Amino acid sequence: MKLLIVEDQAKTGHYLRQGLAEAGFNTELVADGSTGQQLALSGDYALLILDVMLPGRDGWQILQAVRSAGLDTPVLFLTARDAVEDRVHGLELGADDYLVKPFAFSELLARVRSLLRRGSAQPQETSLQLADLRLDLIRRRVERNGQRIDLTAKEFSLLEMLLRRQGEVLPKSLIASQVWDMNFDSDTNVIEVAIRRLRLKIDDEFPNKLIHTVRGMGYVLEERPA
Amino acid sequence: MRRLSLSSRLALLFAACTAVVSLVAGVLFSRASEAHFVELDQQLLDGKLMALRRALPDLQSSGSEVRLADELSRQADVSLRITGNDGQRWFDSSTRLPDRLPQTPGLSTISHDGTDYRVLNAPLSVDRPGSPQLTLLLDITHHQHFLQRMQRLIWLTVGLSALATALLGAWAARSGLRPLRRMSAVARGVSAQSLNARLPAEDMPPELAEMAHHFNAMLGRLDDSFQRLSAFSADIAHELRTPLSNLLTHTQVTLTRPRPLEDYREALHSNLEELQWMAQLVNDMLYLAKADHGLLAPRRESLELAEEADVLLEFFAPLAEDARVTVSRHGSARIDGDRSMLRRALSNLLDNALRFTPAGGEIRVRITDQAKGLTLTVENSGAGIDAAMLPRLFDRFYRADPARQEGSSEHAGLGLAITESIVRAHGGRIHCESEQGWTRFVITLPRMD
Repeated sequence: MKLLIVEDQAKTGHYLRQGLAEAGFNTELVADGSTGQQLALSGDYALLILDVMLPGRDGWQILQAVRSAGLDTPVLFLTARDAVEDRVHGLELGADDYLVKPFAFSELLARVRSLLRRGSAQPQETSLQLADLRLDLIRRRVERNGQRIDLTAKEFSLLEMLLRRQGEVLPKSLIASQVWDMNFDSDTNVIEVAIRRLRLKIDDEFPNKLIHTVRGMGYVLEERPA
Repeated sequence: MRRLSLSSRLALLFAACTAVVSLVAGVLFSRASEAHFVELDQQLLDGKLMALRRALPDLQSSGSEVRLADELSRQADVSLRITGNDGQRWFDSSTRLPDRLPQTPGLSTISHDGTDYRVLNAPLSVDRPGSPQLTLLLDITHHQHFLQRMQRLIWLTVGLSALATALLGAWAARSGLRPLRRMSAVARGVSAQSLNARLPAEDMPPELAEMAHHFNAMLGRLDDSFQRLSAFSADIAHELRTPLSNLLTHTQVTLTRPRPLEDYREALHSNLEELQWMAQLVNDMLYLAKADHGLLAPRRESLELAEEADVLLEFFAPLAEDARVTVSRHGSARIDGDRSMLRRALSNLLDNALRFTPAGGEIRVRITDQAKGLTLTVENSGAGIDAAMLPRLFDRFYRADPARQEGSSEHAGLGLAITESIVRAHGGRIHCESEQGWTRFVITLPRMD
């Protein structure tokens, strides 16, 4: 699975590639729009990450070319501008997501994973599991080590999200957006408190902790060797 | 086509008005004098006729020729023709009389050979039928000349007075419009550095005083915004200085000598926190800049405010429970607005309230539906805010708590400014009041139809 990054700012491009490579993605980086478009049109990529302002052809032109060639490769736009028209324009042309600089890398990573997952058909699960933690989606029940745990509706949604994306670092903004439908930058520490309360119920009584804080980036649900 | 200036327009209007007025007056006067002349002529001819009738009781009697000549000699400008009732010409007092004369009885006017006559036809004797017909002719050439001269005079007066009023009008308009020129001079002098220029509204004529007042008010608002903007730029630099200085120092100190891996990790984490704070600050400032440029265009979807408030209260519930603060919502109302923006506005208010409510306190969200619009109130119990600070709460980077140092807290002090921008973008207003241990933020939103 290969990702194409078209970004003319050398430093940004380099760090994006490094970050994505270390997250397990095979990436290719080009700095100009024309080459970017040629590569994008080859159809070899699972996802395109396009900067809007590019030498040669801009991100929108590449997107247009890709869509008129009949390719439905997911496209994630990066831009330094946050004008409403830009956002609308990008989405009208068929962009799948949009990130405004400055953005956190954890946010980008989470969105890349969402976009890649969107393409593949999701099996209809009835339960989610990690180690001895089990979440029954139909009866909306949670058990750990066979022991029933009572969660509020939002705690259940939060745990479901963590379980579905286990092993991924989820930034607070993504959690706020997905679980509480709060789609704005907020500097509140609600998510920290919510995670702490979930931990109290899920992890506190058990020796192997599943919910982990990745400092400065977000939270991850995974089994770590003791 | 080039537009006429206001002064020229006024001058032309003045001139046209004077021309019309003097023309009407002239025509009336000329008509009246003409009628007056006709009246005088009638009297004169009537008198002559009576004298003739007296002088000529019988044309056949002897000496009548002498009496006739005698009678006619008294007035040189009157001529006489006597016609028999068979149409035969009996007598002409002058050889220059026209051959054909009007036969209608009474007064008429004819022109012959460059001479104008007033003509009066009457029988010599009223009682006797078949009496000879007298035709008296009065030479009125000099009258007509006078009337023509007067008409020329009228036209001249019309022309001259129009010209004079045009000139006077232009002068009057120019001096009348002087306050406007003064306005334009002030407007020309206004720049970012001199927004304190004002028009002397009390010196202005009443028609312009209101405009001058609005003009001054506009300058005042511009001045105010500009001051805020300048303060904002200075504040931005100030706010960014602390985290930047932390980053510089920390990074340089870390790099001065080799350290254990853990120290590097710690340094990067610390930097990350500063950077995230700065990114949040920049994003908030961009949001406000967008609002300032009127680019914050709220979508209009029909929302039940009670639902939105409940969603937010649920979002903040863990925080409130931790802080042992009770939250509640009362009332409901529908509104057309932008869900995400209104949530953000309300979230900032709730976040703010939670930070200032002591343990065991209470936060209430009240929604009141009114005919004109609706009010949304977020009130919290607590120490309250000093009245002097209330108007400044919505200023950017303003922190009610002086103990908070810039950069040291996770809140940049832009939350309430953002809330205000969102409320304004929805056409509403927000203010804060604080009394008897309660602090209350009141949003009023107009109903959109």
